[in-house]
Amino acid sequence: MKTFFEQFKFDAKRLLIRNFSFLFFSLLMPAGFYLLFTKIMISGTTAELSKLKLSYLGSMIIYSGIISAIFGIASLLKADRDEGFLCYLQLAPAKAKYYYGSLYLLIILVNLVAVLILQTLAVLLNSVKLDLYQVLFSILIVGIGQLPMVLLGTCLSYLKKQETLNVVSNLIVFPLAIVSGLWWPLSIMPTWIQKVGQVMPTFFANDLLSSVLLGNQIKTGNIIGITIWIIIGIAGVIVTLKLYHHRGWSFNA
Amino acid sequence: MREIVNVKELNFSYGNKRVLKNLNLTIHQGEIVGLIGENGAGKTTLLNILLGLLPADQEIKVFEGKPGQKKARQKIGSMLQGDIVLANVTVTEMLHEAAAQYFRSKNVTELLQELNLQKQADQLLTNLSGGLQRRVTFALALIGNPELLFLDEPTVGMDAQARKMFWQRIQALRDLGKTIVITSHYLEEIQQTADRLFILQKGKFVFQGTFQELQNKDKRTIIHFKTKLAIKNFQKLTAVVAATQLEDWIDLVSDDGDATLRSLVPFLEEINNVSIQRESLENIFLKMTNRMETLA
Ligand SMILES: Nc1ncnc2c1ncn2[C@@H]1O[C@H](COP(=O)(O)OP(=O)(O)O)[C@@H](O)[C@H]1O
Ligand SMILES: [Mg+2]
Repeated sequence: MKTFFEQFKFDAKRLLIRNFSFLFFSLLMPAGFYLLFTKIMISGTTAELSKLKLSYLGSMIIYSGIISAIFGIASLLKADRDEGFLCYLQLAPAKAKYYYGSLYLLIILVNLVAVLILQTLAVLLNSVKLDLYQVLFSILIVGIGQLPMVLLGTCLSYLKKQETLNVVSNLIVFPLAIVSGLWWPLSIMPTWIQKVGQVMPTFFANDLLSSVLLGNQIKTGNIIGITIWIIIGIAGVIVTLKLYHHRGWSFNA
Repeated sequence: MREIVNVKELNFSYGNKRVLKNLNLTIHQGEIVGLIGENGAGKTTLLNILLGLLPADQEIKVFEGKPGQKKARQKIGSMLQGDIVLANVTVTEMLHEAAAQYFRSKNVTELLQELNLQKQADQLLTNLSGGLQRRVTFALALIGNPELLFLDEPTVGMDAQARKMFWQRIQALRDLGKTIVITSHYLEEIQQTADRLFILQKGKFVFQGTFQELQNKDKRTIIHFKTKLAIKNFQKLTAVVAATQLEDWIDLVSDDGDATLRSLVPFLEEINNVSIQRESLENIFLKMTNRMETLA
């Protein structure tokens, strides 16, 4: 436990507190977008507006989750591996188990903070009303709904070149945000994009979160969808580890 | 003496490329072993196998178990070839993080003092010079208070002073009974400190033994003296392969120093200021690897 705590303190300092760009992209940027879209760039009836303020709140929470999983997990893990830090931990008595625990906990905490920041902004500046049940449920949905993205980020961290990772990350984050309806309503998209979007893990998570925030019935389809994606994600990580570590841990080539 | 490492008929390939060929070796407790070889000879690969970072099917025992076992990890410290330079981390933080991994870890402040790194304690790793980063990596190898150390090119990038301090620390570790395996390009340094040398050439051991034994294998000697006699008196002496004269001074290059010295006895009255120079490890090593080149 002491080792885990030390590890967590160490990682929180270097990866979060002293890492402004990560904080900016995962917390400040979604918050900025939320204000931009709900305060400045909208029009409609009062009823439409208050609905939009809620559904857009959900979208930006999910968006923050994508950012911290793909830009966060993937590049933090890759940097540590390339620097030889994971190799060093592999030689330590406990190997890297505390490291992974602390890294994933950190990412999940960042997301919870994102939930709280965005909801606070919504309540204070957009006069949105949320009850405790909604806050707790959104935290739960974010924690679980983000898992497929976290697993995908873990796989991506094994890409050899930093440039490849950058390109792939950008190719995933923005199109994924658009096709799962985080930026604009999915209904304004061509049908084939809607079809693709509706099976994305972030679509399920976003739809689930909207239901909670708007007080609608939760759809089991969304829960099944997320579960399937978590299974796919775990399988992906296992395959990646097999491919990557079948020749051991050393990469001095 | 207790055997700490034992390797039998180790072969290793990266894909189709065979890198280690039929290696046998034993390392005893308290020994300092110098692992020498040109770039690409396979030194790093061998160390990484002993650390358990690369898989090997052959019979290898480290602390009576397979490489990389938990029991062994607690007792081993290592410096890999690259330094870990994490962003946004200070020297002290890095060492605390490492210390938390081991049961019997050393006190961070004391270790920094021992290695003369107090001034760098609160600096970011990314702001250190290469030589200082290497010294922090050395500290990381020592933090767990290990019994066995694997040091891969430990002095790369260090300045003369840091290097001197490094070898003093190695001597101090020897006095504590630690077992140490070092690879390095600085052969002269290794020659002074290592109890035994393992010379690796293209994945094979071409020599295992003490520096004395290595020197005895290579009998080449330079005999330097002053004389009024002409050089032709000495050119035909036993084992002399070359002779040069500069005023009264003569240099004889001999393939067998002892034999040449014996044949010099009749001239003892006529020569003075004799000095004898044996080959340095560096030269023996270069010759050995050259010979392998021409045979190959
Ligand atoms: N990961 C790797 N993949 C393929 N070949 C490698 C890899 N690492 C090292 N080699 C090759 O194996 C040989 C031995 O390398 P290495 O053990 O690093 O030698 P040394 O440490 O003595 O310089 C070299 O020919 C090197 O090119
Ligand atoms: Mg090497």
